[in-house]
This record gives sequence, structure tokens and C-alpha cells, in this order.
Amino acid sequence: MTTNTYIAGTGWLYRFDPRAKLLLMLLMCVWFFLPVSLLHLSIVVGLVILSGSTNAGWHHAWRTFVSISPMLLFMVLFMPFNVRDGSPLLSIGGFTVITAEGLEQALRLMSRFIGITYVCTLLFATTVMHEVMLALRWYHLPYKASLVVTLAFTYIPFIADGFSQISESHRLREAEDEKKKKFGQRLKDLVPTLTSALVVALRSIPNLAMSLEMRGFGREERRTSYHSLDAYHHVCIHFILSCTIPVVFWFANIFF
Amino acid sequence: MQGNRNALKVAMVSVLTAVVVVFTMVVRIPTAKGYLNLCDVAICFIAFTFGPWSAFIAAGLGTALADLISGYAQWAPISFVVHGVEGLLVALIVQKKGDAAVSLGRKALAAFVCIATVSLGYFALSALFISTVSVAAAEIPGNIAQSAVGFALGLAVSAAVKRAYPPVSSLAW
Amino acid sequence: MINALSIEHLSFTYQSWTGKQNDPLFRGLSLQIPSGSKTLLLAPFNRGKTTLAKIICGVCPKYFPGEMDGLIRLYGKSLGDLDPWDLLPVCTYVSQNPQEQFVATSVEEEIAFPLESMGMDRATMKARIEEAITHWGLQDLRTSSEQELSGGERKRVLLATMQAIDASFWLLDEAFDDLDQHWRDQLKDLIATSNKTVLVLASRYLGEFDDLFDQVLLLDEGVVVKGETNSLLTRFAHLCGDDLPSPLEREHVLPSQRRILSCLSLQAERSRVSTAESEHFTLEVPQFQLQSGELVTLVGPNGSGKSSFSRLLCGLDAPLGGQITIDGKPYEGKQLSKRVGYLFQSPDLQIFLPTVAEELSWSLKRRSDLSRKEVEKQVADCAELFSLDLDDTPTTMSYPLRKALQAAVYYLLDRPFYILDELDSALTYQSALSIIAHLRHNGAGILLITHDRQFADKVAQRSYTIEDGRLSAV
Repeated sequence: MTTNTYIAGTGWLYRFDPRAKLLLMLLMCVWFFLPVSLLHLSIVVGLVILSGSTNAGWHHAWRTFVSISPMLLFMVLFMPFNVRDGSPLLSIGGFTVITAEGLEQALRLMSRFIGITYVCTLLFATTVMHEVMLALRWYHLPYKASLVVTLAFTYIPFIADGFSQISESHRLREAEDEKKKKFGQRLKDLVPTLTSALVVALRSIPNLAMSLEMRGFGREERRTSYHSLDAYHHVCIHFILSCTIPVVFWFANIFF
Repeated sequence: MQGNRNALKVAMVSVLTAVVVVFTMVVRIPTAKGYLNLCDVAICFIAFTFGPWSAFIAAGLGTALADLISGYAQWAPISFVVHGVEGLLVALIVQKKGDAAVSLGRKALAAFVCIATVSLGYFALSALFISTVSVAAAEIPGNIAQSAVGFALGLAVSAAVKRAYPPVSSLAW
Repeated sequence: MINALSIEHLSFTYQSWTGKQNDPLFRGLSLQIPSGSKTLLLAPFNRGKTTLAKIICGVCPKYFPGEMDGLIRLYGKSLGDLDPWDLLPVCTYVSQNPQEQFVATSVEEEIAFPLESMGMDRATMKARIEEAITHWGLQDLRTSSEQELSGGERKRVLLATMQAIDASFWLLDEAFDDLDQHWRDQLKDLIATSNKTVLVLASRYLGEFDDLFDQVLLLDEGVVVKGETNSLLTRFAHLCGDDLPSPLEREHVLPSQRRILSCLSLQAERSRVSTAESEHFTLEVPQFQLQSGELVTLVGPNGSGKSSFSRLLCGLDAPLGGQITIDGKPYEGKQLSKRVGYLFQSPDLQIFLPTVAEELSWSLKRRSDLSRKEVEKQVADCAELFSLDLDDTPTTMSYPLRKALQAAVYYLLDRPFYILDELDSALTYQSALSIIAHLRHNGAGILLITHDRQFADKVAQRSYTIEDGRLSAV
């Protein structure tokens, strides 16, 4: 099981300082909630998808779209519930199915959802995880919190592996073929597998605590860091960019 | 030299967070309408076996990380709040002093709180930030089913783990 | 000259979780290690060697509850006055099980973690990490996740970390196990040429050590014993049970019907996600055969594809080409799993239930052709054969007993063929052979997988090996 969200690439987003990128992501997420015209909103979403594809690749853009398509479908299907008292757009035998305002609201929500999705996934697709952590720590996230996240990432593959091997050994032991089991029986049979996986995980807790202390967690000296964000130059410019882009989009609304 | 338990707390929370992530992503039961994920089993297990803070952080951070890794980063803050609060409340309700068994009434209350937090929490936050009231409402039955199954299994699993691995009682935080 | 390590009258008993009182592990153990010396402490598995190492590092009984008495000093400072993290620049422990020591997501971050703890500046850190990575051949793996590495590679990561930390006292727990010949020689060179104090706890590869050590000691019945090397080795062999008759000599039932498991022109793909791209290795098995009552070994270095082959053989994975047949009939998937049992290296992944009795009766209960009384009798007989206590909790049992339980479960399943993955790791040869003898009791055919050629040569009737993705008979 892979925990990797990063996709290697060389576009401008990859050279953007992670701290400024984080700020840009947050500002853009806020921006999507501002009252702008529908046309302007779609153009900005288009720009986001475009920059995403030129950086992380079209395959990533497509995959992201596929993952949110069920939700988009839901939004389309539930259009009839939006703004019931607006001007009717589509009626069947006197019963108003969709109103014009309802359609606009649905389109607006869909664009906003698509925009936020791409902005968030792009941050993690173009930034290596340890740089995300370094950026968060620069924003004063306590070291212990970033350590917990890093350790969780360390243990996810271990526990996932353990779980799949436990399910496999369950399969190996089964004496009879699985007839069509009732749902309740299936759940009951799941309990030993889950218990075993949890015990494997729980047993590693004292070992992890022991290893942390043996590797120096708890020492009085201030920890240094092997990785750094020094490779990013002219960080001020990146920050200025992060603040300007949403502002420019906001003021451009006047034209639409 | 036993005073400093920081490493143990960090280790506990990290491993439990990883457990929640794995249960959310890797463990899925096919049902008639799609997939049930087992994050609530893990969260309820942690709430019954460990303390409120472990449950809050592991549940919130775990589901948020799972969303991140599966490409649903926009849900991460919502999952963090909803499941974090779920873990915290359930743990607070079933917290007990000493070895006394938890009464049936407490368990029922915990079940109700768990189901209500998940379904209403997701409903409210989705309606506000992601979609409309109607779309968010459509997800309520699914969330109720998932959290109910999660609570029941979590209870069963926590009892089984206590029997299978007695040292777990010394790990509570 | 101050002793690097001085232990006086150490006694230790693990806390019991089952109500039964545990036997003391150490009774008044004393040990002196002069600074700069290289010491070999012979200790059979499961007699307290890892516990002793953890006590020296100050993490036991802190994380592994028990009652401890005695005085331990590292370079003159009493252990009671120090925290485990204070010992970072003083003493490095290389564990027998690398998984338990990993705290980072990639190899280079693993090596960097302790250096960061020591507040080292970035330039020095980079230099040390580069040196360690180059020395232990980890250049291609520097950004790999540790979960993807083979056993030998994981050991090398721990050794590289040890080298980068550059502490004065090295505590190596079975460090030579899991390493290929080239790296064992590398480790021996490192120990011989460095000026560190080294304490090696070992029970394997003893013949390779020659004059590496100034001092040889033996952990015998809870105390450390000095003496002449040869007499210590003899006593050590006795403790491991090597002088007892091999369990394989015991009678076993020859099945009335000899069954043959064979593979023909098998091809499989193993993908290993390395740093940049996934490398695909193909595994080729032109011919393989296992008969009932036979004991065949498969030897190969770490990461060569032994586990991939086993998974094919027991039906967990499907091959790309070729087929697996039993008595001429092809089988695959679940049908194959019902006839070929696979014992994982880690017993904890195959034990699910809270007591031994429940574990053993789980599969039997699901069969419709056995009455409750018959199930109980079979379970009781099996427990006696494997020396298991029916009311015990598996998770608090010792490792050899858990391994025995794993084997007992499969014994009751009565499969005609068994695959044993690295059975001899962390077990004395005698215990491993004992388990094999039990499983062979009803005439099953056994494929034993190991990376320890010594063990394979001792037991095999026939042997196979995997090299460069190709399985061939030896």
C-alpha cells in the first residue's frame, strides 16, 4: 500500500516554496467561497486545472476528476431540490423540475468543489511530504505533532502489510468454501482478523517508544534538521505571488 | 527515571493514527450499495481501550491523513473535526475508574453519540462547505449505517483484544 | 582503566499477565567488559539475550515491565542515573528484529534521526550519512521506504545508523544473521579495525569468527560464565540441544498413498518498488517436485524470490505461466491452498484467537463431520504433542511456543504438504527440527525455506536454490 501523494515533475509549482504554496492553497480555498460571477469562477477553475496538468501531468488531472465524479453526479441529480421558488427552467406536466436559479447554484457548487479539490491535491502532488512538514513547522506546528505524522506514515505500510498477511493466512486456513455467507456472519468472522491486526499494531508501541528514546528523543539539545528549505531562493517573491494571485482573481471579477 | 512518558505517548498516538488510516483505506466490506469502510471500528476500539486524548488525535488525524492519501484532500479538515470529536466524546462517555465494567446504559449513550456525531457532523459541514443541504442529506443513511456497524464491531473487537493481549491495559492515556 | 560495561548481581523477572509466576531470567548475573575489547557472548535463543541487551540500554524494565535488581554501570556512570536518550552517544544497540527500531520513512532519514537528536550541524550530518550509506551499499535505497527492504538490507540500515552515530560501545544482537557473506565479512572487518568496545550476542555463524574476539563468554542458566573457548562452545551446544538426537530420526508414518506436488515451467512476476521506478523481476521455475514424507530445502539470499515462490506454491498468488500439479492434476487458488499449508515467518500473523484452546479448535469446529468430543480430544492430543498449555494466552507466550502453536494449528489441518518460511530464525536448531518432525508425523511433504546454508545442509534430503530469478536443483 502506497502512502505517496507526490508525483515527480519539473513545472513552476515544483519550484514554488512550500511555505508560500501552503498560503496560496489556503487563500485560493477561501477565494472559491467569495461571491464572483459564474463565468469568472469557471475560468479560474479552468486555470487551476490547466496549471495542475502542466505541472503534475494530465493523468493526475484525469484521476482526480474521476475520484470526484460520484459527488458531481450527486450534485447534478439533486438539482431539483435547489432554489424551488425560482423561475422554472424545465417543467414536466406543470411540475417544476429544475429552476434557472437552481441550475446556476448547482453549477456554482460544482465549480467550487472542483476548484478546491484540484488546489488541495495539487499541493500534495507537487510537494514532497517532508517539505510539507517543514513548511508546517515553520508556521509553528510543534515538533511533536510533525513527528507523530511522520511516524504514522512510517507505520502505515507495516500495519497494512500485517493486515493483508493476516487476511491471507485466514484464507489459507479456511476448511470449507465460503458459501454465500450472511452479512452478519461475515462481520462476526471479521473480528478475529481485526483483533489480530490490532494486536500486531499494539505490540509495536513499546518497541517504537523504546527506539525513539534510544535514538535520542527526549534529549535536552535543540534538534537540528537534516532536510531544509534552503534550496528555495527568493522566498519573499513567492510569498508576494501567493498573496497577489487571489487578489488579482478577485479584482478581475469586475470585468465579468 | 519513569517520569517522562513523552516517547510512549508519541508512539501510542502515532501507531493508533496509522491503525485508523489502515482501517479506513485497506479494510472494506462490500455491501449492496458500495463499500463500508471500517474507520469507525478503529475509532471506537481506541475510544474504549485508550483515553480521550489518544482517541481524539488518532481519530481526527488518522481519517484526515487517509483522505489525503486517497486523493480526497478537500475532505481532510471535515474528517478531522467530525471523527476527532466522535473519538473524544465516545472515550469520555465510556471512561471508567478502575476495572468496573461499563454499564449498558453508558454503552447505549456512547452508541447514540457516535452515530449522531458522524451523521450530523458530516451533514452540517458538507452542507456548509462542499455541497447543498439536499446532497449532504443523501449521505446520512450511509453514515448512520457505517457508524452503527463501526460501534458494534469496535465494542466486540475491544473486548477480544483485552482478552488476547492483556498488557494493553497498561497503555492507556 | 574503566570498564565500558560493568554489571553486578543482576536479577530480572518479567511481569506475568496470566497469573502464573514467571521464572527469573537472570540470577545474580555479573559481567565486566573492558574498554576497547571485543567480546562474544554466546547465548541460545529465548534465554534472555535480547532482554539483557535492552536492560543495558536502559529501556527495560521501562517498556517491558518486570522486577529488576542489581547494579549496572556504563563507563562508570550508574544506569539508574541516566535516561535512555543520554546513552545515545555512548551505546548503540542493533536489534535482532530491525522492524522494531525503525522511526523514519526512508533510509536516509532513519540514519539522520539520531544525528538530529544530537544537535549535529547539517554539513557534518550529510558527511556522516554519506559515509555510512556508501560503506553499507545503500546508495540505491536511500529514499526507499524501510518496509520494502529485505531482511539483509534492513540490518544494513541499522548498521549504517550505528556507524553514523559513532558511539563508543556497540551492542550487536545476532547482527550477523540475515546478512550475506559479503556483508558478514564487512562487519567483521569493521569490528576488527575499529577502536570501539564491541559486545556481540550470537548463536549462529560461530565458525566464522576465528580470532575476532578477545573474550568469549556464555550465558548459562541466568548467569554469565567465563572459561576456555572450546569448553564454552561444548556447553553452548548442549544448551541449544545440539547433542540430543535429531528429532528427524524419530519414526514417522509413511502415507499409504504417496502424493507428488510439482511445478512445470512456472513463470511469475515479482515487482519490487525501488526508489525511482518499480523493478520487475521475473521468477522462473523450470521444474520442482516435492513428495509426501520428503524434506526438501530451498536456500537463497535475502530478496531472491523465495517468498514469492512459496506464495505461488500455496495458491495465494497466480503464476503468469505454467502450472502447479498434485498427482498430475493441476490446481490453483483456494483448491491449492487446501492442500498446501504455508507457515509465515512471523507466527503472530497466523494466530488470531485469545487462548490456545480456541485457536486449535477453530478450524476443527467448522467441520461438520466431527463431534464436539472428537474436536476436544484432537485438540488435547495436539497440545500435548507440541507441549502447549491449553489455557495460555498466545500473545504473552514466548516466541518458540508461539511458533509451536502456529505449527500445531497447521498440524490439525492435516495438509499433505507444508511450506515453512524461515522456520529457523530466532529458534534453536533443535526446536526447529522438533517442529518439522511433528509436522511430518502424518507423512506430509515439507519444503523448508531458509537463508542459513548450515541448517539446510544438516537436514535436507534434496535442495533447491534460487539465483538470478531462477530456481534450480542443487
